[in-house]
Amino acid sequence: MNQHDVPLLQIRDISMHFGATKALEDVDFACRSHEIHAVLGENGAGKSTLMKLIAGVLQPTEGRIILDGADVKLATPRTAQDLGLVCMFQELSLVPDLTVRENLLLGAPGSGLGWLRSEALAKAQDVLSRIDGGHIKMSTRVSDLSLPSRQQVEIAKALMRAPRLLILDEATSALNASVVAKVFDLIRAERDQGTSVLFISHRFHEIEALADRISVFRNGSRVATFDQGVHSYDEIINMMVGQKIGELFPPKPPVSATGKEVLKVENFSWEGRFADVSLSVREGQIVGLGGLDGQGQGAFLMGLFGLLRRAEGRISISGKPVSVSSPKTAKQPDIALAFIPEDRKTEGLIQEQSILENLQLAALGFKDLDASDPELYTSTLDRLELKHGGLELPVSSLSGGNQQKVVLAKWLAIKPRCLLLADPTRGIDVKTKTQIYQMLRRLADEGTAILLLSTDYEELIQLCDETHIFYAGRLAASMSGDSMTAQNIIAASLNVTEERKVVHA
Amino acid sequence: MNRAITPDSLMPYIGTALLIIAGSFFFPQILTFDYLTQQLQIAAFLGLLATGATIVILLGHIDLSVPWVLTGAAILSTALVGSGDPLLTALAVPAALAFGALIGIVNGIGVAILRIPSMVWTLAINSILLGLAVLNTGGFNPKGEASPLMVSMASGRVLGLPMSFLIWMAVCAVITLFLTRTPFGRYLRSIGYNEKATFLSGVSTPSVVFAAFALAGMCSAMGGVLLAGYANQAYQSMGDPFLLPTIAAVVIGGTSILGGRGGLFGTVGGALFITLLTSILSVMQIGDAWKSIVFGVIILAMLLFQTMRKGAHA
Repeated sequence: MNQHDVPLLQIRDISMHFGATKALEDVDFACRSHEIHAVLGENGAGKSTLMKLIAGVLQPTEGRIILDGADVKLATPRTAQDLGLVCMFQELSLVPDLTVRENLLLGAPGSGLGWLRSEALAKAQDVLSRIDGGHIKMSTRVSDLSLPSRQQVEIAKALMRAPRLLILDEATSALNASVVAKVFDLIRAERDQGTSVLFISHRFHEIEALADRISVFRNGSRVATFDQGVHSYDEIINMMVGQKIGELFPPKPPVSATGKEVLKVENFSWEGRFADVSLSVREGQIVGLGGLDGQGQGAFLMGLFGLLRRAEGRISISGKPVSVSSPKTAKQPDIALAFIPEDRKTEGLIQEQSILENLQLAALGFKDLDASDPELYTSTLDRLELKHGGLELPVSSLSGGNQQKVVLAKWLAIKPRCLLLADPTRGIDVKTKTQIYQMLRRLADEGTAILLLSTDYEELIQLCDETHIFYAGRLAASMSGDSMTAQNIIAASLNVTEERKVVHA
Repeated sequence: MNRAITPDSLMPYIGTALLIIAGSFFFPQILTFDYLTQQLQIAAFLGLLATGATIVILLGHIDLSVPWVLTGAAILSTALVGSGDPLLTALAVPAALAFGALIGIVNGIGVAILRIPSMVWTLAINSILLGLAVLNTGGFNPKGEASPLMVSMASGRVLGLPMSFLIWMAVCAVITLFLTRTPFGRYLRSIGYNEKATFLSGVSTPSVVFAAFALAGMCSAMGGVLLAGYANQAYQSMGDPFLLPTIAAVVIGGTSILGGRGGLFGTVGGALFITLLTSILSVMQIGDAWKSIVFGVIILAMLLFQTMRKGAHA
């Protein structure tokens, strides 16, 4: 690695206060060129605030930002971009109703009055094809793209601006392992050309794969900065939350095949997106669904919850065949399915309404439940340690992790027999993840059947009792016990297993 | 929970009070019991329409079929009375309400099942109803008359208060109960904010849309019955002047045109304000052109004031 004495970007004595809340307090930070610098910390540790300061979205209460040794004032995102500071935010920033091309050119340098720079677009196209996004057509509307494809477009949009400093805030959270690997190759290539990269992720294996240096933040301060490899996972997690990695996942109970079958799916198919999927979930089991993105596992979960018309196949709940035609049928006591959707912001919650109103929405209208009784939710909220300033506040006042807790509590109120979760920990901090893992295990112990779709294979390995991997709409492999290893999961995801072991439980 | 009385919804009441005070300097007769109760009577027509419109707007949609649902209900009820048959006369009001509910359900089907934007669908329905009415009457004013019941509903008085005003208040009270005390009301607002998340929470969103449009259609029909009773006849296009004031009354009352936020308390104020403004502008004896301009400017000023107040908070 090159040694550069003058850092590209320095932050000196920065403080950022929102009213009485101190998001950052006297922070010093530096980022050199030719380096990929990972920034770690729980949600609320101040890392996103720091990134927003660098991207010109927020102005610091106090302190200096120094670029190439000279003070700069980043009054607007545009100023920051003109100086080469480009940020790809966790909250997807594409305009849904515009096409991919229009989004890429939105605010791109030299695109005034709509005249398009074809070189810039060619660069974006090149970036897309290098990260497996070659199939994304420039003329597609963004709202028609899947979440992973949108992230790929975001990455292309950021890179086509030829950044000097690139900020990636959970930039790969929706992407699967093989695409992530390609994105990382691209980021490394950018680094080798002198770009410095600030990288925020909650996945340790990504940080291990990519980062040159690591800074850890906690409670609005920088705790430490060190080269990659100096500290172990355990030590890093200790710095972040004072917790050991062994405590991240709850211990798995011994395998038992005695639980009653709660959900049984036979030959479930839908319009070519997935076909002939058969699996079952027993009481007390957490069953994982993995695979590359868009292999049908997401659609499969939606189908179970009655969101797909004309899905074929047989579904039985506790031995009785059922027909689930809508979410309303799905949640009725005789079926009692609950679904935690992929996008908690727009699908799981109504941001404008209060926490309490959101909690009540699933249980409302049940004859034997009183949705207005807070007791229905408090036990879940207490277990998950929801931090809030009052249940009557809008749910949008909560951080992402706390919002997910509200979605969980809302569905647990109807006492589901089977819980379907679509990537519930995406973009959530370590501590909240731990709480959710413990919650899921505890629910399983109490007899709930759990079907968990995850893009993080650590979850599939550490949390699930059994894992099914989708490939091209079919189950490519099913594994349990010791056969659940990272290698097996990745191999099955890419459909390169020598012998396909499909075990239907 | 949504508080019923918000600063936004108090605005039209303050506006109404200011209008009365300012108007009384020039026309002292404004402060008489007769004038004010007459305004309440007239405001009830607009108010009933706006009550229905509030439901649909809370849902995040809009109902542009108000004018011809109103006219259709008026034609239907007066025609039934005009037949002279006592049974048909008795059925006049229920039949008009059923007609409103039916058109509302047709609107609901277009919006919830066929997924046509409500602005387009209800406009088309309005135009079809217009055509049907003209076909039915040959383009002349329809024959028929109002029943004594309809006349007393529109022009009668109870304890000195206009009957139409009391009907309006009763309808408001019932619907407010619906909106605040039942799951239906909660679903309605939730759909207005985020239909997808509401559906994914296991709510049968199409049934809520049906019910909302049906209720709105019945409110429009009720407005038509009262207007027919007031004029003792139905006439072509009697609903046309009401469409925009209806929507204006809802929005001035602090209900968000995007759905979710708002309520009937503000709408009542909005209807009172618009009725009084129209009345005072006509007693001022200025030209129609200026009347329109002043009306538009005052509505804009009220809305601007609301947005600026919100801007100051954000």
